[in-house]
Order: sequence, then C-alpha cells, then structure tokens
Amino acid sequence: MKFKKFGIPLASLLIAGSMLASGSSAADTTLIVAGSGGKLAKSIKKLYQDPFTAKTGIKVKSLATRNRASAIKAMMAAGKPIWDISSLNATEYATVSANGWLEKIDWKKLDPDNNIPAIARRSDGIVSASWSTVLAVRTDKLPAGKEMKSWADFWDVKKFPGPRALNNQPRDNLEFALLADGVALSDIYKVLQTKKGVDRAFSKLSQIKPHIVTWWKAGAQPIQMLNDGEVHYTSAYNGRVTKLASGGTPVKIVWNGGAMHLSYNGILKGSKNVDAAHKYLNFTSTNPERSAAQVKIFPYPGFVKGLYDYLPASLGPDLPTFPANAKVQVKIDSKFWSANREVLRERWEAWLLD
Amino acid sequence: MTKLFSNIGQKWLALPATVLLFLFFILPVGLVIQQALFDPSFTTAHFERFFSRGAYLSVYLNTIQVSVIVSIICLLMGYPVAYFIVRQTPAWRPTLLFLILIPLWMSFLVRTYAWMVVLGREGIINSVLIDLGIIDKPLKLLFTTGTVYVAMIQLLLPIMIISCYSAMTEIDQSLMRAARVFGAKASRAFWEVFLPLSLGGALTGTIVVFILSMGFFITPALLGGRKDMMMANFIESQLEQAAWGFAGAIGAILLATTLIVMWLVRMLTARFIYSARSEDL
Repeated sequence: MKFKKFGIPLASLLIAGSMLASGSSAADTTLIVAGSGGKLAKSIKKLYQDPFTAKTGIKVKSLATRNRASAIKAMMAAGKPIWDISSLNATEYATVSANGWLEKIDWKKLDPDNNIPAIARRSDGIVSASWSTVLAVRTDKLPAGKEMKSWADFWDVKKFPGPRALNNQPRDNLEFALLADGVALSDIYKVLQTKKGVDRAFSKLSQIKPHIVTWWKAGAQPIQMLNDGEVHYTSAYNGRVTKLASGGTPVKIVWNGGAMHLSYNGILKGSKNVDAAHKYLNFTSTNPERSAAQVKIFPYPGFVKGLYDYLPASLGPDLPTFPANAKVQVKIDSKFWSANREVLRERWEAWLLD
Repeated sequence: MTKLFSNIGQKWLALPATVLLFLFFILPVGLVIQQALFDPSFTTAHFERFFSRGAYLSVYLNTIQVSVIVSIICLLMGYPVAYFIVRQTPAWRPTLLFLILIPLWMSFLVRTYAWMVVLGREGIINSVLIDLGIIDKPLKLLFTTGTVYVAMIQLLLPIMIISCYSAMTEIDQSLMRAARVFGAKASRAFWEVFLPLSLGGALTGTIVVFILSMGFFITPALLGGRKDMMMANFIESQLEQAAWGFAGAIGAILLATTLIVMWLVRMLTARFIYSARSEDL
C-alpha cells in the first residue's frame, strides 16, 4: 500500500485494503451489486441473478450493505468504486444523485422496448421498487362495530382507545398529521412548504404524542408490537403487515393516507462495467413476468408495464402501486425531504424530547 | 548483554499490534476528528451546532447519566457475584462461570427483543399478574426509563462479573490466611486485603461497562420511552445522510467524554488500588 499524502480519509485506506484483498484482475466480468441481505437477497439471486449469469455469462456478486450513501461517499473519496450497482432508498438516492456519484443511464440501452414508464425513469437511476408506510390496525382490538379508516380516526383516541405507535422520524408523520388535520392529499407539500404548515403538522402531532407508547426505529418493531398486542394501531411497512396477516394475526392495512416511497438502482460513477450494469438492469427491471415472481414473495413492486397481468387477482390489493391503493396515498416528495430533512429532523428531535 | 538483547526482542513483539492499532484505531479516530473540524476548511460549526441546541445537550447529559448509573449498579451487583464464584470449590467455578457466559453468546438485539416478550402488555409478567387477579389492567413496564436500566444492566453484567472474577483469581489466597493468622476477623481481612487487591479488576470492569454504555443505542431505542435517547442514535441518523462532519463531531464529543471520565475514575481511585504482583512488594 502506498500513501500519497497523509490526509487520505480513512475510507480510502480501507477500500484500498479491501481491493488489494479481493484482487480484481479476472478477465471475465463480475458485477458487484450492493443490496440488502437476508431473504430478499436470496430471492433476488434465485429469480434474477442466477438466470442473468446463465444467459449472459456475466457473474454477479451481491453484497449485504447498510448506510450506502456513506459507503459510496467513501468510495468516491478513494477515487474508485468497489460496487458497480447499488440499490438505494429514497434518502440515499437523493444524497448520491445530488452529489453526482451515479453514472447517467442510457435508457435506449436499458429499456429498448419501452417497458418502464416515465414515473420510474431518472437520468441517473431507475425506480426498482415501491413500498408504503401504512396505517396497520389490529382488527380484533377495534371497538365493536367500528372501523378505522383514516389518520383522522387514528388521532381520535376517544372513538378508538388503545395503545398506538408511529415511526421515529418526521418524514411520513408530518404528512399523516396534516391528513388527520383535514388537508387534502394534493395539498400536503404546498402546506409543508410554509413555516405555518410545518407548525400546523407539529401541533397536530402534539395532540397524539401522549398516546404513542413508542416511536419505532426499525421496520420489525411495529410488526412485533402488533403481533404481541403491545399496540393496536401503528404505522408500519406494507409488506411486513401483509406477511403478519398471512401468519394469522388479525391485522389490516388502511391504504387511505398511506405514504408511498420509491427505491432505486443506480450505477456508481467510475464503474468499469457500465455496459454490463445496463444489461443487468435491463434483465432485472423490464420483464413483467420475472418481476411478478419476485412480487409474489416480496410485495414491493416496481413499475414495469404489464406486471399485474402476471399476478393473481387476490395479490393486487396488497400492493402499493395497485391503482385503487395508489390513488389514496401520499407520494412522498423526496425533493422536499432532501431539501428540508436536516432542519425538520432537528426540530423533530427537540419536539420528541419536549 | 543478553538481557538487553531480549528486551529489544520483546519490544519488537509489540510491533504488529502497534501497527494494527495505529492503522485501524489511531488513524481512523484522527480522521473522524479531522472530518469534524475540516469541512473542507477549518470550522468549529459542527461543535457549535451540537452545544447550541438544547435537544443535543439533553441527550448528551442523559447518555452520561445512564452510563454512570448502569456502571455503578453493575459494579455493586457484579462484584459480590464474582466473589461468590471465587469462594466456591474449583470444581464448581467453571460451571458457574459458564452460566454467566451463556447470555454473552446471544446478540444484544435478541436479548433486547426477549425483554419485550417478558415486559409487554400481554407479556409474561403482565399475563401472570392478571391471571392471578393481582391487577386487572396491564402495567406499563415496556417503553419506560426503568426498563432501559434493567435491560442494559442485564446485558452488561456478565462483562463486569468476568472482569472482577479474573482479578480475584489472581489474588494469592495465602494473603487472606496471613491476615487471619495475624488476628484479623474475616470481614477485616476482606476489607483490608481482598478488596484493595481486587479493586483494580472491578474498576476495569466498571470502565468497560461505562464505555459500552456510552455507545448503546439499540436497547434504549427499542425499550425506552421517547426521552430515552442516546448519543449514538444521532450518529446513526447522520451517517444515513453521509453527513460525516456532524457525525464526526458527535463521535469526538462522545470519545472525549469517555476519556475524561476514565481519567477521573483512575485519578480518584489510584490510591486505593494495590497490585498483587510481586514487584510492588
């Protein structure tokens, strides 16, 4: 290892080390894909990566990763990415894209048959999946004859008594508070743009604060709490609620007022395999039948045309992009959040401790 | 001459560890501090931001308070347990130590979730109490500050016990017998011989528990109420956005605080600690 100058960031050092260790001099192409681990990674390997290698001869190595924006920043500081493709949540995509750490997508190459609608196309990325933060209700804990239908109901502790939870972050919750306060779906971000609107959301949240037993940090928490009867009503990620319901717990999703988020795939700036990466994204994103097989296991659909033709009719209503569900949800505005995240998070943390 | 040579030889033995520590500890810590102070030119803005916001300060003080209390309670609970184990026959000690070690092999996260099962509204304690007719509405045990303490102490106690135990086994038992021979009561032999000799290990355990507590965040986040936030939570949320500068500043403050507390503990207790090693006699 050579040290050119002393002020090299730690990251570049570690990366240099790991590159030496991995010794990437093989003649055949191997794409390094950063994603999440666990069952999702297994399913992606089986349904996408193995068939892709069989068809193209391009090998794929997938990594279980966290804090990807920080990792990519480190790679850019080192001047050389170790990953070719990274899956990115909306926050990560906003950071990484704004800093120019992604290659431009050649859409003619990625999607020659025009299977991806404009909503899922970015100049430097592709929307790979959608997921929603939804209101989840333990139906057996509802007062007799009543049904929870909206965030206004969630706020109504007289009509619907019982322990509640929300996630520990301003995003989603400010939107939910405004919906509960009677703001129309289409006006949410118009209201949030103003200081008065943000104040309004926080003061609405202050009303529900005493009734929130915990502010969850990880997606598994609300599911555990719903299952244990620890909370009766909570926000949660849609796929996990569906899974919980299929296990027999009497729990239901209220799609009305859900917050729809997008996840992305991007090619890292400076990747040596930009061409192969396009082939990979083409293979994994533009075939509705293949996507349907994945959605059957993980209900986080992308936007490939014709997806619903390959899905059983019973599955549709469980998905964020199902037209009836999409219509009643807030589309989370990642531009708004990347511009305001820092300020709102500081305010959120102070508000929570207050 | 041979002695000199072997001394030099011994110093070389420390080289790999020194290089490793420098590359993977000293240098990274330096770079974290650099991130906090240069962004890209010299700035104290990240530190000012931390100390000018009430929310950060109160979480900072909460982190110190939780860590101090957890370390002290672990010391008070762990020391007697270690003493008890040391006093058993050599045949029994490994079994007892094994029982202490078992929970250490499970991840903090699993043990934290286990507390949720025990303390929940429909958890073991509440359902037993309700079935016995002692209470008719579930007690709020979860998501309280008390639960954070209980869980953190349970998670960290084995570390304290092992640290105390290893110090105690090094004590020459004949010193205690000598004290008794010279007429000291058992309690006096303990207070004047055993305790000072084992205090070093007990303090090491306390400091290790303190350091680990300062970096805790999963347990308070999962089991505590909304005010039971720890500093590490902030670092995590900053890293999510690749905001290294502020994350570095929080990390540096955490590190500085830990070092200062360690130094204070060492200073204040130095004169009470004896070593059982022969060169001091």
